[in-house]
Amino acid sequence: MKFSAITSTVALAFVIVSSSLASAQSAAPADPTDAGKAVFKRANCVGCHKWHGNGGGGYGGDALSLRKTELDRQHIIETVTCGRPGTGMPYFARGSYDTTKCYEMSRQDVGERMPPEGGTFLRPNDIEAVADYVLAHIKGRGEPTYDECTAFFGNTSRVCDIYKANATQPASEPSK
Amino acid sequence: MRINVRTTLRAVLLASAAFACFNLASPVRAADEMTPERLLNAEKEAGNWLHHHKNYSGTRFSTLKEINKDNVKNLKVAWTMHLGGVEGGGIWSHGGLEGTPIVENGMIYVTDGWGSVYKIDARGGKGQMVWKMDPKTDHDWAGAIACCGVDNRGVALWGNLVVSHTLDGRLIATNKETGQVAWQRQVADPDKGEVITGAPLIVKNMAISGVAGAEYGIRGWIAATDLTTQKEVWRTHTIPAKGEPGSETWKDSNDAAAAGGGSTWVTGTYDPSTDTIIWGVGNPGPDWDNAYRPGDNLYTDSSLALDANTGKIKWHYQHTPNDPYDYDSVAENVLVDVPTPNGQTQKLALEADRNGFAYAIDRTNGKFLWGLPFVKKVTWTKGLDPETGKPIEYDPKNPVQRYNASVTPHRENKIADICPGNMGGKNWPPTSYNPDLKLWYIPVIESCNRITVEEATKDKLKAREFWTGGGPSQPFKITGSVTAIDVTTGKIAGKMETPFPNLGGMLSTPDLVFTGQPSGEVMALDAKTLQKLWEFNTGGGVNAPPVTFSVDGKQYVAILVGLGGAWDKWFIESTPELKKIQPGSMLYVFAL
Repeated sequence: MKFSAITSTVALAFVIVSSSLASAQSAAPADPTDAGKAVFKRANCVGCHKWHGNGGGGYGGDALSLRKTELDRQHIIETVTCGRPGTGMPYFARGSYDTTKCYEMSRQDVGERMPPEGGTFLRPNDIEAVADYVLAHIKGRGEPTYDECTAFFGNTSRVCDIYKANATQPASEPSK
Repeated sequence: MRINVRTTLRAVLLASAAFACFNLASPVRAADEMTPERLLNAEKEAGNWLHHHKNYSGTRFSTLKEINKDNVKNLKVAWTMHLGGVEGGGIWSHGGLEGTPIVENGMIYVTDGWGSVYKIDARGGKGQMVWKMDPKTDHDWAGAIACCGVDNRGVALWGNLVVSHTLDGRLIATNKETGQVAWQRQVADPDKGEVITGAPLIVKNMAISGVAGAEYGIRGWIAATDLTTQKEVWRTHTIPAKGEPGSETWKDSNDAAAAGGGSTWVTGTYDPSTDTIIWGVGNPGPDWDNAYRPGDNLYTDSSLALDANTGKIKWHYQHTPNDPYDYDSVAENVLVDVPTPNGQTQKLALEADRNGFAYAIDRTNGKFLWGLPFVKKVTWTKGLDPETGKPIEYDPKNPVQRYNASVTPHRENKIADICPGNMGGKNWPPTSYNPDLKLWYIPVIESCNRITVEEATKDKLKAREFWTGGGPSQPFKITGSVTAIDVTTGKIAGKMETPFPNLGGMLSTPDLVFTGQPSGEVMALDAKTLQKLWEFNTGGGVNAPPVTFSVDGKQYVAILVGLGGAWDKWFIESTPELKKIQPGSMLYVFAL
């Protein structure tokens, strides 16, 4: 009894998954920067810049706001490839400062200001994709919105709920 | 065909036999019902580990001594068990293990960072998974606002339920036999930046919950849930509302108190003789801009004594008024009775604070008795006032404290190096107290780090965003130690230095002390000399405290291994060698 119930649950889940996959495929044309969004997640840009790109001061330092950034596409690509010397922004390309100089510096030149190595190495087309994603969805945007949040996370998490009502609720109820 | 039928038949028979065995073993025995009496008398069940801190006093001391200093060199791995919960979520690339196992009559209950509960049968000299309860924690909702890791420090037992928390703020009661969720209740609200990482404390028929989020502008609290009605009995905010006693210690015009921090994420202790819960309170927010919140900022950085029935505050003792360092006081208060030379008994509450000082408070009235630095280096103050225990430089007339001004982060000193660093001389990893030797063992982070202040303004306060007024960086190497304090004298009795900070915590037995290192080693020390007598490298990072128990008359030591938490995201640059430690999730069990 128990086993068959489990089996049918699994079967049902499979049907749901496959049908949702199918519907995803037949949905509106995909956003061309979806690949870049995937890189943004996979390379853990979120870990410091957050999903909305605002980064901000915090426990681990101060990731710059990608919403307020003035970097152009080429500069974003360079920053992701090479990191930012003397800060916590990692470099994400294999061989940066070794086989390819960064900001005209080798590992020896940059010395103690060597940025940390990213947790994931990205290929040049991944880096271009993430730059395009930042330009299309983050740079120049104002306060994060519910629609932006659900576009990033989907709607299976409650992570976006606070953007539903309005964007600037106080973090805690005022003390009485 | 025939062979097939026979095989199937045999499989069915075997399966039903197994099922029958399981059924025979599974009905609840009366002795397995957790009652208030058993929790009060946990010491009578020497082979069990029934409370998060072993007993209501929080000593993490076991009387078991089959493993002792003469034979501990023969300690070996008895069995291991792989667990889950390593996956990331929110701002975290992976989870870790910080939990204390609970052990009752040969059954072990542990959690992983996302709050899954595992029941493991430890009888017969081996470990067998009985069930796993996965609470399906909302990774992105909770993980985005967990300041310091995907953490869960364990369960508690009540009736036939296993009681636990999730990072996304739930209190969950799970049927001990079946692993099915009996009921759950949302206690904390991640929409306000609140998460839960601590284990519940069971007092009578209540589960006491604490909250994390002082880096996200919460107003902290401690809450009691009636386990029979599943309703809230009381909720005491750690920051007073306007007009309440203590609200005068928030002198700003920003309504800073409304987002003033005061988290409570380490499980407290309980004194049944006075029906008092004693619980530590975290830092004020914004962490490093104390000019935003002039005043002492009660009850942040304090130990609080609460009436167990009502949650009313009986007394408080604040360690770092108007804290500009992130020196929270969430640590457990260990309740210890010490005879004095004149035949009296001192009823102490011992706390090893993030600020680098160990404190003994009279737990009947909250008065300071003694304090001393337990770390090698303290720079933020020249010392404690011997009468009040306040930092010598503390001046209640100053709305904004500068302490040793030259090293204190503030708006005119935006880059400041402090010792201990903001992770503190001791963080959440628990201490242990040996009542025979009157020695109190502290897991120490010997540290300094650099604070960069960013002036906080009200417009920067946003739900679910960091509210810290700056941030730390790690230009200095950080090491650790186990430091023993003789509580009859209030003096350091010994210090065993370690290459890495102690991120796991302590266990003591009559003549041994157990602890671990984030580089992987679990070790046993001589309780008197702190000399290392045994060591085993688990190959992971120890980020959780050891426990000991007995089953079938044999003593075991158990410890969760899996480096996670705050360290490998925020502090790893101070211990670059630890970058090579891989995430993991494993229970190790040792025996002779």
